[in-house]
Amino acid sequence: MLDRIGGQLERYMDLLSTRQKLVASNIANVDTPGFHTRDIDFQSEFQSAVGGAPQVMEVPGLAVRNDGNDVSLDRESRLLAENALRFQVASSLLRTQIRTMRAAIDEGKSS
Amino acid sequence: MSLFSVLSIGASGMSAQRTRAELLVENLANAETTRTPEGGPYRRKDVVFESGAVGSPFSSFLDDQMNSPGGVSVAQIVTDTRDPERRYMPGHPDADANGYVAFPRVNPAEDMVDLMGASRNYQANVAAIGAVKDMIQRSIDLLR
Repeated sequence: MLDRIGGQLERYMDLLSTRQKLVASNIANVDTPGFHTRDIDFQSEFQSAVGGAPQVMEVPGLAVRNDGNDVSLDRESRLLAENALRFQVASSLLRTQIRTMRAAIDEGKSS
Repeated sequence: MSLFSVLSIGASGMSAQRTRAELLVENLANAETTRTPEGGPYRRKDVVFESGAVGSPFSSFLDDQMNSPGGVSVAQIVTDTRDPERRYMPGHPDADANGYVAFPRVNPAEDMVDLMGASRNYQANVAAIGAVKDMIQRSIDLLR
């Protein structure tokens, strides 16, 4: 039981932390000349059967400033909050799964 | 790929913006300085940022192998090479033979605006660290 849903949740959280890392990197480089915003394609990475390191790509269509930098602080702060909330939901779900499993192990005595 | 390495990315951003703010404050403080150890008036300083792997030493090797996103670091500190501003002040001790004193070419408005930018970007990095810290705490709570 934990394998099927728990495995999906684990992959979801793993992708979220990868994405959060890219967001943090983009924010840190908001003043680096020539730096381009980097992200992952969340949907396709999550649906792809093969796990492993996700493909990092540069985000197209962002306004490039004079110094060649195209980091949008609005986009990054939105993603920062969104990822944190999604992670919160996923961890709550996983916690429920673990609690159910533990209840079964303890013959329903605790929980 | 660990969440902990995100903390060091945020920290690299904070430290880079702090360096920038320090230099900007130095520029503002020395806006009227006509004597320096190198001789001549003070010259405006600014930072050049560069992106790169600034992970913790523990994970840096793996990160290098995986070409993972890096933080930011100060590549170099550039000194303004423009000619100093010359003001006619014959009574000034640093005046030249014609009565002109070389003053630093510092524009306080420009530096104040940059200082606001540095401060806001510092806050953005703090927010990123806060969000990631919360994610780490949630992961730890799974074990309870």
